[in-house]
Amino acid sequence: MATATASQSALQRFINSPAGPKTIHFWAPAMKWALVIAGIGDLARPAENLSLAQNTSLVATGLIWTRYSTVIIPKNWPLFAVNLFVAGTGLMQVGRIMNYRMSDEYKQKQQQEAAVSSA
Amino acid sequence: MSQASGSIASRITQKLGSKEFRNYITSTHFWGPVANWGIPLAAIGDTQKDPSLISGNMTAALCVYSALFMRFALAVQPKNYLLFACHFVNEGAQLTQGYRYLQYNK
Repeated sequence: MATATASQSALQRFINSPAGPKTIHFWAPAMKWALVIAGIGDLARPAENLSLAQNTSLVATGLIWTRYSTVIIPKNWPLFAVNLFVAGTGLMQVGRIMNYRMSDEYKQKQQQEAAVSSA
Repeated sequence: MSQASGSIASRITQKLGSKEFRNYITSTHFWGPVANWGIPLAAIGDTQKDPSLISGNMTAALCVYSALFMRFALAVQPKNYLLFACHFVNEGAQLTQGYRYLQYNK
């Protein structure tokens, strides 16, 4: 009935590891996926209600951290994956915003506002 | 390399020119958090804009995210105070936006 660490299953070793699910080192990066899920949910919001500032900042931070997660020691592939998706969903939103801003509907609104403010 | 009799200005310039500081400025320990500052700055800018632009989902996610990363920044080795500051500010900004969102969407 030896209980040496060698007899711990791989699952137990993972659970008790210094960057495992008992620590913030696991949950903070894992939780970042909520940003991706929120981003995917936001694809359903109309483009005129999206914040360009927020989405470009998410793209920038997503891209930089995608790069850095392969440069830090040790490489952090979960961090790489989540930031890649943060950048991806952010880019889709930025695309939608830019598309909207080039649309006729938006240009009409701009003209109307200009007319109102100069009247 | 004594700094005993330097004026404040010259001591500051000495510190900024030191190898230690230059290594820090060129590290991911510095630039990663710098990249993250875009998020709170965007949020602060957005507090001055119409609340219809606020995404409830994203704001809630960012509130949880910054709360966890404030802890993470102090739990890593070495502690990353710049990252902590970024997420501390973001927590405030996102909570503000969350409040505005709830008020607007009553």
